[in-house]
Amino acid sequence: MPRPAPAPKRRSSLTPLYVILGLVVLAGIGTLISKSRSPSPAKEGANQGMPVALTPDQLQRVHGISIGREDAPITIYEFADFQCPHCAQFAAFIEPLIRQNLVDTGKARYVFYEFPLGFKWSFLAARAGRCANDQGKFWDFHAIAFARQRQWSFDPDATAQFTEYAKTIPGLDAAKFDQCVRSDRFQKEVSESSQLGQSLGVQGTPTLFVNGRKIDPLPESYSAFEARVRQIAPDAFAGGPAAPAAAPAAPGDSAGLVTGQSGKQ
Amino acid sequence: MSSTVDDAPAGVEEEEEDYAPPPVSRMAIAVLALIGVFDAAYLSMYKLGIIGGLTCQVGSCEQVQNSPQSALFGIPVSVLGLGAYVALVALALVGVQPRFVRDRRIARAITAIAAVGVLFSAYLTYVEARVIYMWCQYCVISAILITLIFLLSLPALRRGRAAAS
Repeated sequence: MPRPAPAPKRRSSLTPLYVILGLVVLAGIGTLISKSRSPSPAKEGANQGMPVALTPDQLQRVHGISIGREDAPITIYEFADFQCPHCAQFAAFIEPLIRQNLVDTGKARYVFYEFPLGFKWSFLAARAGRCANDQGKFWDFHAIAFARQRQWSFDPDATAQFTEYAKTIPGLDAAKFDQCVRSDRFQKEVSESSQLGQSLGVQGTPTLFVNGRKIDPLPESYSAFEARVRQIAPDAFAGGPAAPAAAPAAPGDSAGLVTGQSGKQ
Repeated sequence: MSSTVDDAPAGVEEEEEDYAPPPVSRMAIAVLALIGVFDAAYLSMYKLGIIGGLTCQVGSCEQVQNSPQSALFGIPVSVLGLGAYVALVALALVGVQPRFVRDRRIARAITAIAAVGVLFSAYLTYVEARVIYMWCQYCVISAILITLIFLLSLPALRRGRAAAS
């Protein structure tokens, strides 16, 4: 025997649910629309980067560690922390392509500034980088420190680990390096570099500036990064063929170990 | 999720248990799953190129979404999640209708989808914490939602079992 149709009272017990679901739908659609309108690097010309007060005076006061032609039309500043996982990813996936396509071709000069975030060995690693730079081997140390980040980050004695890495860098006096890392040398330089970053509004790492413009958010691929650089400094690319965005090389530790010329400023 | 065919006994059950009031837990599942739809839709829109960037207050959403683990067999995990949440909303909405409140197939299907979701979310959370060392707030929200949905789906399963015995 079929039952009679449900009473209207029962149906109405679902009304609050439908009201709540309706509100969730409205809120959800509103949020999606507002978020999809926020600027994104992939939308051409949507975000040119915020100009910052990156004056030559400031940069003279605090020296970063640079590589590439001094008179290159593009200057890229990176604020990074050797112990920050994002920085290691950036160093493995994007930075080698920046070096290959922009620095090695003379279009850009790349300047590294320490911005230790406060991980256990952040500051020590930043100083170790300066110690390597003291012997003209910063970029070799940079490559190893990022590629082996997960090894030394959890090591109770990161200094000893850094010295082991130093022994593998040709031309680097590991004993001198060890002595430097165990001292308080370059504490001032790293602190000043960090303060410079703070004064420029750096909040996280890696943060990049291209010709004084903060790249925010940081693109996820080299091709997107180059697109931003082309927007900021189109003249640097004038005359040559539009370089196709290089496909990222097979990433991995080895990518991070690719070292270029050592430079110091 | 394969729903088992409950032949005559289920029909009898429905007759007997028909028009039961909708359980609050299932209504909550509908609401949570709908939130999950928008959460997953946002990530899917980014992954499919409909929007160019993700706004992320906590973590590194774009980097997580571009990690190798963000797709399974070529399908973005956010799209898989979107499908699961849409299915859960549909099942929960059907499941709150008086006629289907006691339908064991609905209860089983919701629990099964949520269980797979919980396991997959656990894997993704592990990947965030231990493999790529980056967090995506929308992924964490989704993991919490699917866990709550799974827990909320259990009473109906038990009720169905009790009714069947």
